[in-house]
Amino acid sequence: MKYIWQLFDSPLWSLVRKEINQILRNRQLIVLLIVPPTVQLLLYGFALNPDVHNLRLGVIDYANISASRELVSAMTSNHTFNLESVPKSEKDLSRQVEEGKLDVGLIIPPNFPRQLANKSAEIQVFIDGVNANTAGIAANYVNQIIQQYNFSLAQGQISPPVSTEVVFLYNPGLTSSWFFVPGVMGLVLTLIGTLVSAVTVVREKDTGTLEQLLMTPSSNWEILLAKIIPLAFLLMGDVLLALTLGTIVFSLPFRGSFLLFLALSSMYVFVGISLGIMLATICGSQQQVLLTSFFINLPMIQTSGAISPIESMPPLFQFLSLFNPLRHYITIVRGILLKGVGLDVLWLNVLALLGFAVVLLTISVHKFRSQLS
Amino acid sequence: MKRIFSQCVKEIAQFRRDRLTLGLAFLLPFLTLLIFGFAIRLESKDIPLIVQDFDRTNLSSSYIERLYATNQFTPKQWSGGNPARDAIDRGIAKAAVVIPPQFSRDIQAGRNAKVQVLIDATDVNNARVIRGSIQRVTNFFMRDQGLIPDTNIVTPRVRLWFNPGRLESLYIVPGTYGVVLWIFPSLLTAIAMVREKEKGTILQVYASSISATELLLGKGLAYLLIAITEALIVMGLGSIIFHIGIISNPITLLIGTLLFLIDSVSFGLLVGVRSSNQNSAVQIVSLVGFITSLLLSGFIYPLSNIPFPLSLTPNVFPARYYIDITRDAFVRGTGWTGVWFDLLMLAVLGFVFFNVARRLLSRMQISQ
Repeated sequence: MKYIWQLFDSPLWSLVRKEINQILRNRQLIVLLIVPPTVQLLLYGFALNPDVHNLRLGVIDYANISASRELVSAMTSNHTFNLESVPKSEKDLSRQVEEGKLDVGLIIPPNFPRQLANKSAEIQVFIDGVNANTAGIAANYVNQIIQQYNFSLAQGQISPPVSTEVVFLYNPGLTSSWFFVPGVMGLVLTLIGTLVSAVTVVREKDTGTLEQLLMTPSSNWEILLAKIIPLAFLLMGDVLLALTLGTIVFSLPFRGSFLLFLALSSMYVFVGISLGIMLATICGSQQQVLLTSFFINLPMIQTSGAISPIESMPPLFQFLSLFNPLRHYITIVRGILLKGVGLDVLWLNVLALLGFAVVLLTISVHKFRSQLS
Repeated sequence: MKRIFSQCVKEIAQFRRDRLTLGLAFLLPFLTLLIFGFAIRLESKDIPLIVQDFDRTNLSSSYIERLYATNQFTPKQWSGGNPARDAIDRGIAKAAVVIPPQFSRDIQAGRNAKVQVLIDATDVNNARVIRGSIQRVTNFFMRDQGLIPDTNIVTPRVRLWFNPGRLESLYIVPGTYGVVLWIFPSLLTAIAMVREKEKGTILQVYASSISATELLLGKGLAYLLIAITEALIVMGLGSIIFHIGIISNPITLLIGTLLFLIDSVSFGLLVGVRSSNQNSAVQIVSLVGFITSLLLSGFIYPLSNIPFPLSLTPNVFPARYYIDITRDAFVRGTGWTGVWFDLLMLAVLGFVFFNVARRLLSRMQISQ
């Protein structure tokens, strides 16, 4: 108890109070802490959807027999392809694909009935390959659909002797927002954490109040901690906001330990803030801080696995991403929320994060102090 | 006209004096291009796969061989309590195939052998791809072993147009031009505009005889020149590094780029006029700019995937039209007939942005 009172008496506490007052007076900061995370979370969750469906299909059916019509309806039966147009000629079809009006073209040749009788029918499929990813998935779908159609043609067939029983772990419904929301949580914390802390320090530098602060009897550690602690609390508020939104709007599961999540999130918050303070001590003006934070945040976000999976990056980028604290934090969040794993699995990521927190904090304190001389 | 020009010269002189900004203005777009171009890969290769074989017969090992022969999976080992589940929990493997002990006996007896496949579905896109490939391999294995007769009555001849090798850089890089040229020019312009306000020099402008339109035109022109330089650097280096060339009439790309840069700079002016300090200007540009160019532009995932009310919004974002134009110029090559509407929309949006900025600024001027 005595120590707690001592804490409230200390210069650190009064500095913290000063910072809190400053923050509360700064309306813009409060808005900044609430609006961007909400908007980003909702947009990423709703707009980023890797599903391939509603591809626009154009069909020319020269055969026009029941088997070919069945094939067309097999193509369009599960909303991957929507029948958009029935062009008159192949030239028509290719023009529509060229102009981007169709994604897929299907041509069933006139001799299809005869070929079918010979059990060697061929059909032509054009896919707009401008979007390489979608095109690849669409090609796979076409093959799958035709394969099924073939099975149905070869009637009296015994069921395949080997069947695969697929279980999707952690995300049985394959909801894409479950992948994006944890990533965006980390992303928002990084962006806002670095920016807010950098700007608060630099602004004090701009207005000259930093020198006054440094002349007070408080130690550098105390001045810095006083700056960090209130911000850390506010950013933890952001974490909770994002988590609440994620669970309510996207019914994100929370399978792991809440306490562990809080502890590790606060560790990451410290990393973000220290990064911001380090930037502020390096840069002279607000403009420079803002631009350099862009400079650092962009690659951090891109190599973190928030949007595109790390395993598909080239080896060099996979290696570089190990030095990206955001990558570790996103792994941790996905691990705790979706997989429900604990420290026994995440310890390496936690260790990395801890390393970043210590190193960055030490550097920023050191830099901060060297500004005195 | 002369006043616009001298405003423009002043602006560029100011810009040149700030070394760091100057460096970042040209380095940042290039760096972004590199990272996007190299690091964004949606298709999964080298998926770590763990196989647990309880059968240990020739048949099961030839099945495993087939799995790894696709080059899509790389073998992983793990000896934990429950290797399959454990390895996925730890992220060592993305998928596990468990072959049951009765596998070959079941097949020989004509019973159905169930192979269990566990897939890490945290990344949904990946999970689907993995399922598809494992099923394809299984089918292939059955046909190869003569377990099922060849049922290929209809074979599709699938042809991918415009990008037959499915090079992802050919898809990502032209899109990146849209992202980079939307964010950086507008960011620089917005900061320059706001700084004038923060420093109070805008009051001098208000007091002088220069009109809002002239001021914006002067500033806009200066930053348009900077933006054009950025565009040349990014597109030039992008084409060299990623081996991407213009395949259609370059005129549409030239006009489109110019219009898009005008949009970008006008958007920057608009943000600069609206916001009261640099921090909020950067916030607005980064939030609005990133969202409009990254998420709602069709850059990564197709626009048709965006659900209904939200799917209307991309129509008012220039990046969406510009990405159409760059993809046409570098990948598709249709030219005018394919992109005339995009060009028109870019022109309309640029006109709107500039006029809103002008209105806002002149309203402030009167109130002084």
